[in-house]
Amino acid sequence: MEKDIREDIAWAQINKDVLGSLEAPRPLYWVILLAAIAMIGVAVGCEIYQYQVGIGAANMNNPHAWGLYISTFIFWIGMSHSGTLLSAILHLMHADWRKPIYRFAEAMTTFSLMTAGLFVMIHLGRLWQFYYSLPYPDERGLWPNFQSPLLWDAMAIFTYLSSSIIFLYVGMIPDLAICRDSMHPGWRKKLYSLLSLGWEGTDRQWRNFRVTYLMIACFLIPLAVSVHSIVAADFAMSQQPGWHVTSFPPYFVAGALYSGCSGIITLFIILRYVFKFEEYMTLSILKKIVRLTFAIAMVWTYLNAVEFASVWYSHDQPSKDVLIQKASGTYAPFWWGMIFCGSIVPLTLAFKRAQTNIPVLFAVSLLVNLGMWLERWMIVAPTFSHGIYPWTWDHDQWPSFVQWGIVFGSFGWFVLLFMVFCKVFPSVSMYEVKEMVYHRSLHLKKSGAAGRGAH
Amino acid sequence: MGQRHILALFNNFENAEAAIYELRAADIKGFNFDDLTLKSPIEHHEVEDILGQRSAKVHWFTLVGALLGGLLGFFLISGAQANFYAQMKGGKPIVPLPPNFMLAYEMFILGGVCLSVLGFLICAGLPAKRSSLYSAKVSEDQIGVLVKADESAMAKIKGVLLNHEALEIQEEAGK
Amino acid sequence: MSVNNLLENWSQFRHFHPVDDKPHDPYKWAMSIDLDACSGCNACSVACYAENNLPVVGKEKYAHGQAMHWMRIEHYWDEDIGTKEGSDFPDQGAQFLPMMCQQCEAAPCETVCPVGATNHTADGLNSQVYNRCIGSRYCSANCPYKVRYFNWYDYPSTENVWPETMTQQLNPDVTVRGKGVMEKCTFCVQRLNVAKNDARNEGRTVHDGEVQTACQQACPTSAISFGNLVDPASRVARQWAQQQVELDKDKQTKDAEPGGSNLRGYRILEELRPYPSVMYLERVRESAV
Repeated sequence: MEKDIREDIAWAQINKDVLGSLEAPRPLYWVILLAAIAMIGVAVGCEIYQYQVGIGAANMNNPHAWGLYISTFIFWIGMSHSGTLLSAILHLMHADWRKPIYRFAEAMTTFSLMTAGLFVMIHLGRLWQFYYSLPYPDERGLWPNFQSPLLWDAMAIFTYLSSSIIFLYVGMIPDLAICRDSMHPGWRKKLYSLLSLGWEGTDRQWRNFRVTYLMIACFLIPLAVSVHSIVAADFAMSQQPGWHVTSFPPYFVAGALYSGCSGIITLFIILRYVFKFEEYMTLSILKKIVRLTFAIAMVWTYLNAVEFASVWYSHDQPSKDVLIQKASGTYAPFWWGMIFCGSIVPLTLAFKRAQTNIPVLFAVSLLVNLGMWLERWMIVAPTFSHGIYPWTWDHDQWPSFVQWGIVFGSFGWFVLLFMVFCKVFPSVSMYEVKEMVYHRSLHLKKSGAAGRGAH
Repeated sequence: MGQRHILALFNNFENAEAAIYELRAADIKGFNFDDLTLKSPIEHHEVEDILGQRSAKVHWFTLVGALLGGLLGFFLISGAQANFYAQMKGGKPIVPLPPNFMLAYEMFILGGVCLSVLGFLICAGLPAKRSSLYSAKVSEDQIGVLVKADESAMAKIKGVLLNHEALEIQEEAGK
Repeated sequence: MSVNNLLENWSQFRHFHPVDDKPHDPYKWAMSIDLDACSGCNACSVACYAENNLPVVGKEKYAHGQAMHWMRIEHYWDEDIGTKEGSDFPDQGAQFLPMMCQQCEAAPCETVCPVGATNHTADGLNSQVYNRCIGSRYCSANCPYKVRYFNWYDYPSTENVWPETMTQQLNPDVTVRGKGVMEKCTFCVQRLNVAKNDARNEGRTVHDGEVQTACQQACPTSAISFGNLVDPASRVARQWAQQQVELDKDKQTKDAEPGGSNLRGYRILEELRPYPSVMYLERVRESAV
């Protein structure tokens, strides 16, 4: 079998290759950055318009109280889950192939949470009063309503965001020290000196570092599961048909891991190509993620089927009507698109030849994420269009350009954050790649020695 | 007699390990084995076999943080609900347990994570000023052994270190 | 200290309403609507617009589902005569249902509001605090009746919502809502407050008929009765008792009888357990006569 990584890469070479990614960017970088900023500009323009005019600008109405903002919010929360999966779960499972790729996955977690957080704000009718939902002591003795799943959401996202920033940062300290040591004097050196906290790699630092990293990893796993379960609770806690489904929390978590994993494949391919990380982000590692993604895709498909089946056999007529609406009503093209992108397209990943075919994987990963975005929309919108109360059925509502513009701009925001990160911080963990190389070569030596002994 | 630091750089971990073994066995006067520090670009678990179990107490911080976070969460929230005009909502009890457990759970994790990091900083002695003997090579591919000892012991220690193919020995600027 | 307060009054904070809580006293505002009397004339809706300063959003926004009618008249057609094939007069089978906030005892909208802007009051209303609302619209998403209306635009500053000559008509007892807040039927809470204060000043409780909601007042056929359910002599309490509809039941005892009950009283979506405070009296159908 192909190796995940070559054991004979010189450590100095690792430093050189990764630090190379922090060097002055090529012109294309600036072009993409400007494009991302332009996309954000569109969103900011739409938001200013909506802020002035009111949520009516987003074209919502009485049954359709929520729209793309909430769907896209779930989408970005979902994207954030893979970073935790790769770094925390695989860390606990001692799967060392995560080491070259977890850094950017964690960055993806952090930035998609930052994007998701914006949507909660954008969604509010009175953005200028958003602080009412924060639990701060005030003279009037007013508190937010802790019973509301939205508040659980806020709390869970706050916890998740702060924990993943801490996890990303703590895991990066040794690498920041490397940057500090090899940078020329300038603002970057100052930044790295500050952030690396005077790390010198002493045995005491490493020992405490290991325990801390493990502790945070242990916390992050149940946290990630709880975050998306709580997002699912926003829906499952209500009595609306199509939402009041017991299997929603695991379904959401599976969906989140799924879209996150395909997001990782997309970024993996881009980073590998742009930064010439072929030595570290090897095809063998890619194959492992692809297989993981395929497994999660099947879990997601299964949970999807479970949801439909439980609705179908429940004899809960309104829920059944919503399901029929999804498959045959206004939203049918999108709903079938979701089934196609989410359940049919990933079947290509079952073929060995596709598992390392980069153009195919790139296309599949983008399609899967398109499907997962549609899935979130198909959770939110059809229930509003065909609720319990027939008089308010409305199948014709269509989100306005303001909603589409803000959704579009959110991708620019994510790209901007991610690109700035890649140029300022090492997107491959240098010290852990060294560990990986070191342990593999040790292992090789041992088995080599054992082999010689046998002869 | 004053104490001084020296830093020896090794090309690989085996050499450094052998040097440390010898230093421990040598029983040099004016040198306490606990004053020896290993600096490495990656973590070497094996070093604990030689250096002995030095403490890592971060997990106690984690435990305290998690418990405090959870308790604080639950009582803060329940207390707030009981005081907020005790306002009834949706027929649910004024202090509903499932949501409060949910929020206490998040606070449990937040407390645990935050205090773990605090514990890490305290236990690892960070943030710290960089010691005067440090080589950027340590963050690349070399292993450093930092020794603090009396001046009188220096010559012997240096001998041991050089015996094991130390590439370079840095000494503190003379006092 | 809040923790002390919490521990001392623990049992008091652990009641489910209305099933194992003590009933409201001395007021529980409730309504009953006789669909047999309703002619679908929309007078109640118009009265509500006038009383509660509801913005008139215009044809286009109305068609777009952005109307602000707290009290709306819904049209339904009998299945057998509502079609062209079924009858020469397709509109003949029209039925009307006046729909407004059901002032649930266990309202699904209340629990989900992130800021606690909507609460259950001591006299059994589902209150909406406009100043506290941040416009998350979760309440509307969770309302099974979809009777909560959101201010999609800033109506007070929108042209033709209240044309120049009409501004004098606005009710000074009711605030005008700005953009981004949720609003809904209040059972004319401004009138209830006046009546309760008057009664308290005179050392008595509000007697039946002393206070009327705007829709009730305007109804030409007296289809709507409104009053205090706690007072057994009130018209609404007598109707509820007559129809054997109990406030704190999610399945009425009368419906458990074999063959069902002949009584006309029912509550909409009772099985979802919001315990609504509005009872409807079923229409005596032509097809059933």
